[in-house]
Amino acid sequence: MRRWLVAAILLAVLLFPLLKVSPYVLHIATLIFIWAFIATAWSYMGRFGLVSLGHGAFIGIGAYTAGLMFNHLALSPWMGMLLGGALAALLALLVGWACFRFGVMGDYFALLTLALGEIVSLLLVAFREQTGGSLGFTLKRVGSSWLYLQFEDKIHFYYVALAFLVGALLLWHWIDRSRMQKALRAIGEDEVAAATLGVTTIRYKLMVTMISAFVAALGGVLYAQYVTYLNPHTLAGVGPSLDIAFKAILGGMFSLWGPTVGTGIIVLLEEYIRVNYGAKYIGLSQIAYGIALVSLIIFLPKGIYGSLEERLKRKKARPQK
Amino acid sequence: MEILLLNALANGILLGGVLALLAFGLNLIFGVVKVIHMAYGQCVMLGMYLIYSLKSMYEVPLMAAFAVAVVAMALWGALLHLLVIKPLLGAERLNQLLALAGLIIVFENLAHVVWGADLRGVRVDLPVVSMGNIFLKTSNLLAFLGALVVLGILYFMLQRTYVGLAIRAIAQDTECARLMGINPGRIYLLTLTIGGALTGLIAVFFSPIYSVHPHFGGSFTLMAFIIVVLGGMGNLAGGFLGAFIIGVVTSVAAVFTSTEWAEILALVIFILVVLVRPQGLLGARGAR
Repeated sequence: MRRWLVAAILLAVLLFPLLKVSPYVLHIATLIFIWAFIATAWSYMGRFGLVSLGHGAFIGIGAYTAGLMFNHLALSPWMGMLLGGALAALLALLVGWACFRFGVMGDYFALLTLALGEIVSLLLVAFREQTGGSLGFTLKRVGSSWLYLQFEDKIHFYYVALAFLVGALLLWHWIDRSRMQKALRAIGEDEVAAATLGVTTIRYKLMVTMISAFVAALGGVLYAQYVTYLNPHTLAGVGPSLDIAFKAILGGMFSLWGPTVGTGIIVLLEEYIRVNYGAKYIGLSQIAYGIALVSLIIFLPKGIYGSLEERLKRKKARPQK
Repeated sequence: MEILLLNALANGILLGGVLALLAFGLNLIFGVVKVIHMAYGQCVMLGMYLIYSLKSMYEVPLMAAFAVAVVAMALWGALLHLLVIKPLLGAERLNQLLALAGLIIVFENLAHVVWGADLRGVRVDLPVVSMGNIFLKTSNLLAFLGALVVLGILYFMLQRTYVGLAIRAIAQDTECARLMGINPGRIYLLTLTIGGALTGLIAVFFSPIYSVHPHFGGSFTLMAFIIVVLGGMGNLAGGFLGAFIIGVVTSVAAVFTSTEWAEILALVIFILVVLVRPQGLLGARGAR
């Protein structure tokens, strides 16, 4: 039943552009896919109690590595993606190892990663000779090209972003069925107990952190390729880092579909308010978004999709009593 | 170069005084309510905008604008407690952190909508004080002295008054204090009100020094965190020491490199402290 539902949704999303929808709708859908991809990557570690507020660092590193390599060396973003992802994973290894080795957890972990995201953003500004500083830089246009991951029309990117998102969701599934998941769940529930039972806690935590960083970096490249413009304040630093975490948490970071649902709701809400009221008061949409966020955290701490799922489960469980 | 360094040192110490006030507010709230107020610097920013509006648009005398700002920010702090912090008291720590981080978005965009993205400032013409080769802005000096006076008053209040005793009792052991007949809810409200009044006071001290813009609070919130963690979360004396360390380090580093590198240095210190000495410089062992 559930499998059919997923297949139906996927089919609908695949066929959706055939309805001759406007480029604007495709644009919004593409944005949702890309950010849902990143938010899903964030949740790989977030759901095991590793709440990072610094994923901006990873998307920034990915996007800037691929972007600079393309502009200066004409390296294909597909290669840049792997390179940027590897660099992000390396940073994750370094910081993750230090954190887990010294037992940094919970809100200290969150604050430390927050600083990490800001450091990367400041570094991108400080190396202004290469990166264009606060003003950022634009990618060279080459027209439509699969090799250089640039397209003149929206529809190509719609499918590319969708494919990436599906990949991220499949990866979630894979992590779920691997040994890693059992170990990490045990760690998330009681780290000391897991360690005494012989789980090599650091290795599994590092593994999931590196996967999350790598995938997030891919998302950064994807976003930069789509908007063909890189800026340290939209790709790294406190703002984007918090945004990623909020999208996942709002949807519910413990469920497969949570980050995607959360991203969809936030992007649509932002767009709705921006289109309807944004012209009069710039920033109003962000205020509403912030207030919605704070109230949702207060009233639905499990996230929107997470709470819904829990309610459905409870309903299902009742007749069996 | 030597003179430049000496000036940076002196100004760093002056900056440290005001940062100490910021850290004190954050520490007080963390120590008593056990909540990390992520949007603290943004509250200072709102206070500065309020002063600007009163002074420039309604032509209120500066001193009156200052007084209004302190009272208004105290009420704002109380309001935040009732609307956001109080409903989250029983929630997970991380959710508290995230909800308060969400307020950053609200406040910064509120400032954007009301006052726009331009730099706003109140112009106060004050002479420069010189001591030999060291030149100090009077506004910085006044802010420093003012911050010290306020810190002294707060210290006296915490140590010598009944309310201060109640606040310290709650900070030490909430359950035990409750059994002694202290109402934690009221102390929390009071703490957030004092914390709010402090943001108003910092806004008063900052107004003659800096122009304000919607993202003004961000760097100060981060700076305040660095200081608080450096000194040990909830440790008031540690925060005082940390403020001067960070004030001097960033001012001196900014002379040698650029402001970005100075900030990076501060953040790296922060990360190292969290990793190696999470209880802070003056914190007790096992304070995490």
